[in-house]
Amino acid sequence: MPTGPYAEIPRVDAYEKVRGRAIYGTDNNPSGVAYGAFVTATIGRGRITAMDLSEAQSIDGVRLIVNHEHTSDLQPARFIMQHGFAFQSYSPVLTPNVAYRGQPVALVVADTLESAIEAASRIRVSYEEHPFAATLDSERAEPVPQAEAATAWPIDDIVVGDAETVYADAAVKVDATYTMPTQHQNPMELIGTVAAWDGDHLTVYEGTQNAGACKFGLAEQLGIPPENVTVISPYTGGGFGQKNTMQSQQVLTAFAARELGRPVKVVVPRRQTFHDSSFRPATRQRVRLAADSAGRFTAALYDVDAQTSMHDFFQSEHADTAARHYGYGAFRSFTRLVRTDTPTPGYMRAPFEHATAFAIESAVDELAYEHGMDPVQIRLLNDTDTDIVDGLPHSSRHVSECLRRGAELFGWDRRTPEPRSMVAQNGDLIGMGVAIGLYAGSGGPNRASVRATRDGIIEISLGVHEMGQGIRTAIANVVARHLNVAPESVTAILGDTRGVPQMLTAGSWGSASSIPAAEAVCEALREALDALGTNAPEGASPAEILALADHDELSVEAATFAPGQNRDALGEIDTGHVAPSGPVYPDFITYSYAAHFVEVRVEQTTRRIRVPRVVSVFDCGRVLSPRTARSQAIGGVVWGVGGALREAGEVDPRYGGVLNADMAEYLVPVNADIGSIEVGFIDEPDPMVNRSGVKGLGEVVLVGVAPAITNAIYHATGVRARHLPVRIEDLV
Amino acid sequence: MQSFSYARPASLDSAIATFAEGGEGTRLLAGGTTLYDLMKLDVERPERIVDINGLAELSTIDTSGDELVFGALARMSDVAADPRLADEFPALSEALWKAASQQLRNMASLGGNLLQQTRCAYFRHGEPFACNKRSPGSGCSAIEGLNRGHALFGGSDACIATYPGDFAVALIAFDAEVDVAGPDGERTIPVSDLHRQPGDNPEAETVLMPGEIIIRIRVPADAVGRGSTYHKIRDRESYAFAVVSAAAAVRLEAGVVADARLALGGVATVPWRAREAEHSLIGTALTAETARAVGEIAFADAVTREHNAFKVELGANVVRDALLIASGRA
Ligand SMILES: Cc1cc2nc3c(=O)[nH]c(=O)nc-3n(C[C@H](O)[C@H](O)[C@H](O)COP(=O)(O)OP(=O)(O)OC[C@H]3O[C@@H](n4cnc5c(N)ncnc54)[C@H](O)[C@@H]3O)c2cc1C
Ligand code: SF4
Repeated sequence: MPTGPYAEIPRVDAYEKVRGRAIYGTDNNPSGVAYGAFVTATIGRGRITAMDLSEAQSIDGVRLIVNHEHTSDLQPARFIMQHGFAFQSYSPVLTPNVAYRGQPVALVVADTLESAIEAASRIRVSYEEHPFAATLDSERAEPVPQAEAATAWPIDDIVVGDAETVYADAAVKVDATYTMPTQHQNPMELIGTVAAWDGDHLTVYEGTQNAGACKFGLAEQLGIPPENVTVISPYTGGGFGQKNTMQSQQVLTAFAARELGRPVKVVVPRRQTFHDSSFRPATRQRVRLAADSAGRFTAALYDVDAQTSMHDFFQSEHADTAARHYGYGAFRSFTRLVRTDTPTPGYMRAPFEHATAFAIESAVDELAYEHGMDPVQIRLLNDTDTDIVDGLPHSSRHVSECLRRGAELFGWDRRTPEPRSMVAQNGDLIGMGVAIGLYAGSGGPNRASVRATRDGIIEISLGVHEMGQGIRTAIANVVARHLNVAPESVTAILGDTRGVPQMLTAGSWGSASSIPAAEAVCEALREALDALGTNAPEGASPAEILALADHDELSVEAATFAPGQNRDALGEIDTGHVAPSGPVYPDFITYSYAAHFVEVRVEQTTRRIRVPRVVSVFDCGRVLSPRTARSQAIGGVVWGVGGALREAGEVDPRYGGVLNADMAEYLVPVNADIGSIEVGFIDEPDPMVNRSGVKGLGEVVLVGVAPAITNAIYHATGVRARHLPVRIEDLV
Repeated sequence: MQSFSYARPASLDSAIATFAEGGEGTRLLAGGTTLYDLMKLDVERPERIVDINGLAELSTIDTSGDELVFGALARMSDVAADPRLADEFPALSEALWKAASQQLRNMASLGGNLLQQTRCAYFRHGEPFACNKRSPGSGCSAIEGLNRGHALFGGSDACIATYPGDFAVALIAFDAEVDVAGPDGERTIPVSDLHRQPGDNPEAETVLMPGEIIIRIRVPADAVGRGSTYHKIRDRESYAFAVVSAAAAVRLEAGVVADARLALGGVATVPWRAREAEHSLIGTALTAETARAVGEIAFADAVTREHNAFKVELGANVVRDALLIASGRA
C-alpha cells in the first residue's frame, strides 16, 4: 500500500449538494406531517402562573398544544458533561419554570406552519417574575471556583512551580485582562427535528453531530427502549458545536408526534436558536506573563472567568490549552465559572482555545514589545519539547516549523517593528501580526464495518458525522488507497444509527477516531479476501478477488481505540455516550498547531479595519484530503476574522436574551470582508497518536486568528485591543 | 402570521380605492422586504394587503430629461445600474448599491425603500420591550439601553430610533420630491418632508395620508450631481446598515465651492440635511482641513447617548472623506 501524502480528490458529495440531492434532516416530509412552533418566554427568570390557550385553539388547523401540564411523563434531559445526552440539564416545557428569556414554554402543532406560528403568537402567558443575571458582568451573576464545582469529571487548577514568586521578581512582565462577549454559531441549517412513529418505533430525521446521543437520550426521556429509536442524519448543514447533543425540541417533537399519531416537524427559527441553544460563553481572562532578560518566559499566571448557566457547570478548559502554548518556567491558573440565567453555554468551534489564544498570544505580543523582541522570534525561543504540566513528550509538535514557513510565505522580513511605521500609498496604516494556536489531539473508540461486493460496491459504516467538514471525502480517499479502488466507488454510511454506533463528532476528533477504524476494517477486509485463497495478483481490487473466488460479497467488522483505551470504551459509544481520549495520553501528549500571519489595513480617518491577507500554516498530522482540508482551513480563518472584528451577542442586562438575534444584525463576515487566505500544511504524520498519523484540523484552524489580527492592529495603530470584537469605536 | 385578505389591483385608481377603503389594517405590498420581515416578527399584523406590483406604470425609470424620474416600483438594482445615474449622480447610484444585498435589491422597490422602518431591536422584537413607536405610551427601551445604532439628531424623549435607509439620504441632498396619489388626487412632497421626527408620537413616521400611494420620485438633474458620492461606513464591507453615512456633492467654480450638498445617514431619526455645514463650504477652496471643519459643523449639535458618542468624531471624518471624494469628481 502506498504511503506518503494523499492525493487531492474532489469533495465526493459536491454534486449531490449543488444539485439539491443531499437530503438534510428537516428536508424530510413524511406523509401527513404536521408542523410545530414554539411560544417563548418573555421574562428573564421565573414561573408560569397561567397560560390562556383559548384564542390559539380557535385557529384553523391547530391540532395540539403541548405545555408543562401535558409533559409529566417525560423525563428531563441530562447534561452531557454529567454523563447525559443533552446540551444542558434543563428541559423547557417540562416544568412551569422559566430559566432564561427566550426559552420555549409551549409547542403548538398544526396542519400548516403558518397556523402553528399564528396560534403560538396568540397564547397569553402570565408569569411570576424573579430577578436574574443575564451577563457575566451582572451583579447577580454567581462566580464559583471551578475546582470546587461539583461535576462528573472535575477539572483542577494547574500549578507548575511557584509562578507567583517568579512573576513578582521578574525583570520584564505584562499584566493585562482580555474580554470576549458571547458568540453564537449560526450554521446555515437550523436546528430541527422530524419525528415519525411506526407503532412503538420512533424514527427521527435530524441534522446532528451526535446521532447516538439523540437515540439514547430520546429513549430515556420518552421511557422507551433505545432499540425502538432510529436517528438518521446523513448530512448536517453545519454544526460548529451547536448540534453536539440533544436540543430542547427533540423530545417535544417526538412527544407531539406520538400524541397526534402523525409525523411532526419542528424547525427552530433563527431567532430562537440564539435563545435556546448553546453558545460561546463570555470570558474575562487576566494574563500575567514574565520573561527573563533573554526573552524566555519564566512564569505565567492565568485567571479565567467563564460564563456558565445556573443549572449546569459548563467546564472551562481554557487553562489546559494556555499551559501548552509555550514552555513557561512556572505556570498557575485559577478558573471561575460564573453562573448566569442563560442556557448552558457549549462547545462552539474551538470553544476555549479561541479565547485562550486571544489572551495568551496578545500578552506574548505585548511582552515582545516590552522587550523589544520580534514577535516571531520570541515565539520560536519559547517553543518546547516537553509538556510542562505532565512532563510528557509531545507525540509531534511542529509549531516552530509552522512559524518559519508562515513567516517566509507571508514575507515577515518586510515588516518594520515600530507601531505606525508602515503606511500604504493611499494613507492606510499597515499592520502585520502573528499568533500561534493549538488544539487538543483527541481520539476515541470507533466501530467500523465494511461490505464489498463483486459489482465493485464498497460500503463502509463508521461512527462519525458529515457536517460539511468533508469527512466523507477523507474516508473515500483513505479507503480508496487501502483497497485499491476509485474514491467514487466508496459509499460511507454516517450519522445513521442503523449502522455502527454513532459517537459525537466534535472536539476535532472525527478523523482521528474514525479514520484509524476505516483503515483497520479495510485491513480486515484484505485479510478476509486473502483467506479466500484466490492467488489474485498484487493490487487486485476486492471486486476482482471476489469474482475470482466466485463470491458475491464479503462483510467484516473492526474496532479501534485511542492510545490508553481498551474495549471498555466501546461500552460508552454503544450506549450513546462520548468516550474521547487525549490530549494527555499515558506516554505523550498530542496537540495540533497553527501559525497565523495577518496583514491589516486601517483607514486613518474612519478607522475602518480591513484584512487583505492571511497566511496560515497548520500541523494537523497527516492530511487525508487536501482539498477539503484547505477548505476547512479557509473557513476557520474566516471564523477568526468574524471573531476578531464582527461577532458579538448583544445582551441588554435589563431583559436578558439576545437583541441582535438574526443574520442581519449578528454580524459575520461577508465575502467582501475576506481577502487572500493562503494555507499551508506541514503534512507530517504523527508517529504515536494513531495508526493513521492524523491529528485534528477543524478547530485549530480558527485558533490564533483573532490575536494575529489584534496584534496586527496594534502594529498598525499603536492601539492595543483587549476586547473583541474590535470595532470602529475602539480605534476612533 | 395571521390570515389576511389579498388584492392585486390592475390600475392605480383601483389600488387607491382599495387601499383607502381598507382602512387602518391595510398595507401596500411592493417588494415585501420590509413588510414581510416585520410581519414575520409580528410587528406588522395587516388584515388586508394591497399588492401594487400589477401597476406597470409605476416601474418606469427615465433619466434622460432635466429631471430624473423613478417610478415607485422601480427596483433598487435596476436603478443602481442606470448608466446616466452612475455617471452624473454617483451619490444616488452608490446609495442604492451600497444598501442591503443583491437579492434584496432585486426585490425591493424605491417607494418601499423610502418607507422602510427602523432597525431598533426593541421595536423589531416585540414583547417584552417597551417601545413607543410599536406600542405608543409604553416607553422607550433604547434611551437607557443599547443605543449604539440610535440617533444623534432629531430624537425626542419618546424615541431615538434611527431612520436606516440610504437612498432617501442621497435624495434629500438633491432636493428630490415624491409625487403621491390618494383619494383626493395627487400632491407633491419634498423627500425631506416625507418623514416625521418622532416628537411625542413616534408611531407616526411619515406625512402620508390614509390611502396615499407614492407613485414616483423626481430629482432635478442639477449639475451638482456629478461631483457627488454616497460615503457609507458600516460594520462590515457589505450587507450592513450605515454606522454613519454622508451624501455629499459639490460644484466648483474656479477651484472654489459654488454649490454644496450634505446629508447624513445612520445618525438621525429622519434623513438629515446638514444645511449649516453646506453653507460654510460656499466660497471656500476644499482641502482636507476645511472638509474636516465642515464635518465638525455637521456634528456640532449632536445629542449623544451611552453607546453612540463615537459617531461625532467618526462622523466628522466621514463628512471630510465624502467631501474630498465628491470634489475629486467635480
Ligand atoms: C437584511 C436587510 C438589510 C437591509 N439593508 C439595507 C441597507 O443597508 N440600506 C438600505 O437603505 N436599506 C436596507 N434594507 C431595507 C431595504 O432596502 C428595504 O426593505 C426595501 O427597500 C423596501 O422596499 P420593498 O419594495 O421591499 O418594500 P415593502 O416591504 O413592500 O414595503 C415597505 C413599506 O412601504 C410601503 N409601501 C411600499 N410601496 C409603497 C408605495 N408605492 N406607496 C406607499 N407605500 C408603499 C409598504 O406598505 C410597507 O409599509 C435592508 C433590508 C433587509 C431585510
Ligand atoms: S428608540 Fe423608538 S423604536 Fe426604539 S425603543 Fe425607543 S421608541 Fe421604540
